[in-house]
Amino acid sequence: MRSVVRVAAYVPAGSSGGVRVAASDEDAFTLGATAVERAWGARDVPSEPVVVHLLGDYPAMADWGFPALLGQKAEVLRHPGNADELARTLHEVEELDGGPVFLVATEMPERDAHHEGSSPAATGAGSVAYLLERSARGKPFPFEHVGTARSALTLALNRGNPTGAGVEPPVFVGDWDLPGGTGRPVSAELIRRAAERDASAVSEGAYVPRARYLENLPSRWRLVAEECDNCHEMTFPARGICRRCRRRDTLATVPLPRDGGLVVAITTIGKGGQPTEFDDQVESSGPYSVALVELAEGIRTTLQVTDASPGEVRVSDRVNTLLRRLYPMEGEWRYGRKAVPAPSGAAERDGR
Amino acid sequence: MLRSFNESVHKTVREAAALAHRAAIVGAGHTRFGVLDAGPRALVRSAVESALRSVDKGADRTDVGEAMLATLGFGGSQIGNSAALLAEEAGVVGVPVTRVENACASGGFALRSAVGALAARAGPLVLVVGVEKMTDVSNARRRYWLGVSGDTEWERLAGLTFAGVYGLIASRYFVEHGDASQALAEVAAKNHENGALNPNAHFQKRVSRAEVLAAPRVADPLGLYDCCPVSDGAAALLLCAPELARKYTDAPVYLDGLGAGTDFLAVQERASITRFRATQRAAHEAFRSAGWHRSDVSFLEVHDCFTIAELLALEDLGFVGPGEAAALTLSGETRRDGRLPVNPDGGLKAKGHPIGATGVSQAYEIFLQLRGEAGARQVAHAGHALAHNVGGAGATAAVSLFSVG
Repeated sequence: MRSVVRVAAYVPAGSSGGVRVAASDEDAFTLGATAVERAWGARDVPSEPVVVHLLGDYPAMADWGFPALLGQKAEVLRHPGNADELARTLHEVEELDGGPVFLVATEMPERDAHHEGSSPAATGAGSVAYLLERSARGKPFPFEHVGTARSALTLALNRGNPTGAGVEPPVFVGDWDLPGGTGRPVSAELIRRAAERDASAVSEGAYVPRARYLENLPSRWRLVAEECDNCHEMTFPARGICRRCRRRDTLATVPLPRDGGLVVAITTIGKGGQPTEFDDQVESSGPYSVALVELAEGIRTTLQVTDASPGEVRVSDRVNTLLRRLYPMEGEWRYGRKAVPAPSGAAERDGR
Repeated sequence: MLRSFNESVHKTVREAAALAHRAAIVGAGHTRFGVLDAGPRALVRSAVESALRSVDKGADRTDVGEAMLATLGFGGSQIGNSAALLAEEAGVVGVPVTRVENACASGGFALRSAVGALAARAGPLVLVVGVEKMTDVSNARRRYWLGVSGDTEWERLAGLTFAGVYGLIASRYFVEHGDASQALAEVAAKNHENGALNPNAHFQKRVSRAEVLAAPRVADPLGLYDCCPVSDGAAALLLCAPELARKYTDAPVYLDGLGAGTDFLAVQERASITRFRATQRAAHEAFRSAGWHRSDVSFLEVHDCFTIAELLALEDLGFVGPGEAAALTLSGETRRDGRLPVNPDGGLKAKGHPIGATGVSQAYEIFLQLRGEAGARQVAHAGHALAHNVGGAGATAAVSLFSVG
């Protein structure tokens, strides 16, 4: 029998009328992806394929999105998320042998922020939370924010353990202690627009061919750099050549830290200064900031700032990164990392 | 006998001097820059005809042995094979024409290619034309095209066009060297003042520093008056080998040094955010090849697509050290009557920036200034000039050095 080793939740930072809601650049995939990243942590890439059970409906991402996010061979199984399906899924999980298993439950943003009715994925998340409480052997499980609001939950399960003996209680990662209603205000109108926005709409935006988009996902989603064994220079994004000594045969891939990046330059784009593919976003949520963020010494990337007001993040602040929607291209959403203020970022800048 | 000896000495001296020159400009033409009724073909035709007319001793289009067309193809009109468009409008169908596209640096690189063609014995004349038609496209299409020459995968997908990228650069410049907003405003005010004297300029009105600082922000810390306009326009040059120059004019302008360089497309990959290595490399190559010192230069035409870019240019070209361009600008030394005039034609800021035309237009201004034909905006004692043309936010750059020989 398997046991839960790590539990990660992601609860959106926005709120509308005291209800936790997803921002306009969040969807089921980004919610689930963020929870998966938290559960995945900084662990080494295992040699066995990872099995991901998805409770909820994101067909376009199941076949390549989660494997790309995890950066390795992954079998992704989709489940509609109702209670019967969930019981069967958990049974399957227990029967499975082999490598790490993730169970991901996520809830889609809804048109009406105040609608509290259960959706299949919410039911799934709630049920998982219940089972988790049992598996946590009496440890109180703070799932009041999970399964009822827009949120995502990921469970990492260990290898099969027939006796269950010596199993440690799971590690909890996430927004458990966030009291409800402290999230940034998000208008119900914005949520409605986000839900209505259609990935199939024709975008006259920057053209990044799909093949190039997929090929670059290790750098874009997982922040993978290349370190040169010859001169020890790091090159990001990875492009198969060392930017200092220009050798191709001495490179090893290294993941960069996803959190705690340093803002080295920042600008706020005024209305009308945005590229056309961001018109919708500016129309619904106003001007945004874009930062150059140093992820490691001398390694920088360009990130739009989200979950923050324009001008709020400043040079020398620390930011974390999250996977979010960028814009639709050729009938599908394109995703990439965005920066969010790190909880202690401003304090550090002000020397507090 | 003596007379023939003298003539022969003069000829030898002239030929030796000619060896130091890479090429000669014997004619130059320019259209008005701004929001124009003319389409791209009419603009090309007009610039070519004015260049041919400007040749003092006359030039015929049949002398044109090769041509270069600098254009981004803004809006997507005749985006492929536009070389043939130039051949048709210049009346030189049959001769080889090459389109040179390095975004906003297309003109500077086309000039470089023309010198290369002369070295390969094309000629006797090589025609260089830069053109862009930008104002007749829809708002959405224009904003799409304004971003196509930046880094698409990181900067554009984070929500940046060039104003945004230069906004980032300016924000970093302020961190490294202190708040330079007064110097940025002075760049705009100075270039508008010069533009007010240029009958071809898009904007021919003065703006005050206070107006620049009060304008709406486009990409903080850059405001509306920190950005060059979107303009239509064309410019043309006629080049020949230095030893042929006096067949066409008694007042040729010589190209003495050429340099160019590239850098990573995205600023995030560069060693410095506030220095353009492409410009540094181009300047180094140009000065070395001409055997000039910085102190030889009488005035500059630099790529001020955004006010911050003029400060970066002065530093990267080696006229001042890092962070020192702000003080130089505020001292008034870069005004038309200063010690080192910068952008006497108004620069991209006031004259306008029809993308492919800009680098060619810089050489046009230098042609007039070095011949003493710049009228009200004439710079005193102009004998040596530098043109600096940047593609995008520094991914490509070309530097050219000109003299009266």
